[in-house]
Amino acid sequence: MRRDPPNTVSRAGGGARGRSARSVVGLIVVALTLLVVLSTLVGPESLPWPATLAILLHEMSGGHLAGMPCGSASAAECRIWIEIVWDARFPDLLLAVTAGAALGISGAGLQGVFRNPLADPYLLGLSAGAALGASSVYTFDLAPAGRAFILPVFAFVGGLVPGTVIYFAARSGRNSPQTLLLTGVALNAIAAAVLATFLLYNPVANLSVNFWLLGGLEYATWSNDGLVIPVVLVAGLLLVLRAQEVNLLQLGPDVAQSLGSDPRRLTRQVVLVTTVVTAAAVAFAGIIGFVGLVAPHVVRRLVGVDYRRVIPLSALVGAGFLVVAWDIAQVVIRSVVIPVGIPTAFFGAMFFLYLLYRRSSRSRGVGAP
Amino acid sequence: MSGSALAFDRVTVRYGARVALRDVTMRAEPGEVLALAGPNGSGKSTLLRASIGLEGPDSGTIAVGESTLSGLSLRARARQVAWMPQEEPVGDNLPVPEYVRYGRYPHSARFVPPSAADDAVVLEALRLSGADELGDRLVWELSGGERQRVRFARVLAQQAPIVLLDEPTAHLDIGHQLDLLGRVRSIARDHRAAVVIALHDLNLAARFADRIVVLHRGRVAADGPPRAVLSPQLLSDVWGIASELRYDATSRLPYLIPRVVSVSAPAASGGPPRTRVHVMAGGGSGTEILRRLVDADYSVSAGALPLFDSDSAVAEELRIPTAVEVPFAPISEATRAQVRAFLAESAAIVVGAFPVGPANLANLEELAAWDRPEAILLLAQPGPAPWDFTGGRAAEIRAGLLRRGAVEARSLHELLTNLASRFGR
Repeated sequence: MRRDPPNTVSRAGGGARGRSARSVVGLIVVALTLLVVLSTLVGPESLPWPATLAILLHEMSGGHLAGMPCGSASAAECRIWIEIVWDARFPDLLLAVTAGAALGISGAGLQGVFRNPLADPYLLGLSAGAALGASSVYTFDLAPAGRAFILPVFAFVGGLVPGTVIYFAARSGRNSPQTLLLTGVALNAIAAAVLATFLLYNPVANLSVNFWLLGGLEYATWSNDGLVIPVVLVAGLLLVLRAQEVNLLQLGPDVAQSLGSDPRRLTRQVVLVTTVVTAAAVAFAGIIGFVGLVAPHVVRRLVGVDYRRVIPLSALVGAGFLVVAWDIAQVVIRSVVIPVGIPTAFFGAMFFLYLLYRRSSRSRGVGAP
Repeated sequence: MSGSALAFDRVTVRYGARVALRDVTMRAEPGEVLALAGPNGSGKSTLLRASIGLEGPDSGTIAVGESTLSGLSLRARARQVAWMPQEEPVGDNLPVPEYVRYGRYPHSARFVPPSAADDAVVLEALRLSGADELGDRLVWELSGGERQRVRFARVLAQQAPIVLLDEPTAHLDIGHQLDLLGRVRSIARDHRAAVVIALHDLNLAARFADRIVVLHRGRVAADGPPRAVLSPQLLSDVWGIASELRYDATSRLPYLIPRVVSVSAPAASGGPPRTRVHVMAGGGSGTEILRRLVDADYSVSAGALPLFDSDSAVAEELRIPTAVEVPFAPISEATRAQVRAFLAESAAIVVGAFPVGPANLANLEELAAWDRPEAILLLAQPGPAPWDFTGGRAAEIRAGLLRRGAVEARSLHELLTNLASRFGR
């Protein structure tokens, strides 16, 4: 019979896991930073790569470093390059990071409270609802002056409708994955139908409405990013504070309540926070599917099931996934930027199918009683 | 408030139109194991769920220690009451100590990481539940018995003065059942916890509980120590089964032996009068006869039988009027008179294949004196094996009966068919 000294039983398991989780976090942070830096080299315009990196260094250091970033290029050319790298590519990437993080934490939070590995803001219709809200601002030409402010508000209100429906479906459907996903499918279809009507209703707004259908990062600006980033940070913090309660909820709402958590309040809060943060991302980046689905699964593979780790790391992995998708969207067809929702849907949906079939071939799914 | 750990005062809980608990008043004291018994749907689980606030009472109050349950926050409740449901989702595939640490949640502060003190509580809970060998396993890899111990450890890690266990022994083999209940007993004794445990098995309840509360259709049907509560009458009233109560020779604890047969309804009022058949048997030869006759709706009497004979136990359980005699004593004159009275009322007599000795020879003598020998049905004695211990007297009477028109049947089936043909059944 094995005999451990008393204090090592729990410490051994937790400590080893803690160490490996920390090194995974470090690795992901380094990889994401590298990915963002290298992605500034990607775009429809071809710039010399040393100049691009030098411009980045120059601007980030406030002009202290890399004094002559463009090398031998003319001053006029250099101004254009700086504008491309620092005012177009970098805000786009920042939005990719922010929106990816927003969708990642939303997916993690929703999968947690619905105890359903297939929950995701896109599949549940939250994104479509937010897109509907945002695009109605253009379709009905609302508040042309205060658009920057009114757009995220409308996106949030639009997302709240499916958010509320999902909340009640999840409560009455007893967490059945079918009920929840089919509800999402229905909400998506309804939103798509209304969006299609918008396209016909106001042909002038067509271009703008089209943008929300498959998402895009090309209209990102520093001021947009400035609006979204704090929302995502606050939402991430709120979700992480609730993460231990999300862990308890995996034992079922009754047991969670017997341990001192309020499962209904928790579900309400998480649905509200994910609706807000999804709306913030959708308002400026449109509907981007599957990021919220993929990120938490990858994270669980890497660091296990504890939502105190799964939620923050899903932000990083979601960000990385969206940055890669954005790179692909810019280079897959020469001199055309395709909507970023296309590569995320392409790779994300394949991953989704893989999950579905792996789940059905395994006896113990995550949401199973 | 009272000094009780948990007190229900006239609590009623409704699920829509259905009343799950009706006017329940009961209490659980520190250091005591209280068993909740009752048939399926009698309200045991509802009572436990109400004790942690998962079901709110429609009327009445539930007190936990010095406070009312409804006045406590969820976290404060979780520090007072720990609950192990019968079934729950397995949850994520966690290492066992992390799973058990969930029990520390009500004691945790939001911005403070788990302390070494929490680790010590987790280890102690694993030890008390007998799961200390499972510290390096993952929860999905545990067997049913191991998982039950780990869940029990999670409940103990809550360190609550009230512990509620809903059918903790379901799905466990007898060894694990006794182990778990033994641990429950020591938790109550050593930690002064009030343990309320819903148990289907009344004998386990009698063995491990200080007190049993029996629920029947949402009401308290009985409340007291096992010896006072358990009775064949209670089992018949609450569960609708016949049983026999015995006492363990060493522990003096009561235990019940349920009978597998259905209890025939007590003599139905109205309807045609039933045919009276008297049974003479003994030593188990009458068990099957009595049951089949009752099932065929005859009105049955029996005797004379020795007290404690297995046939007399069956007769008692089937509520058959029986003439009984002290074991190993010759049948007394008073008992013979009772047998004669039974015979006088009977339309037929069925005689089992039982050994006859000096003690019960009087039965055959009464038979020989009965005035309708053609209505006597004898089961054939099996072969030449010795059944007559009276030096030939019993065999002689038996032969005489057959000569005077009594019928011998080779099987119980043949005998019952014959009987049925006489009385049109």
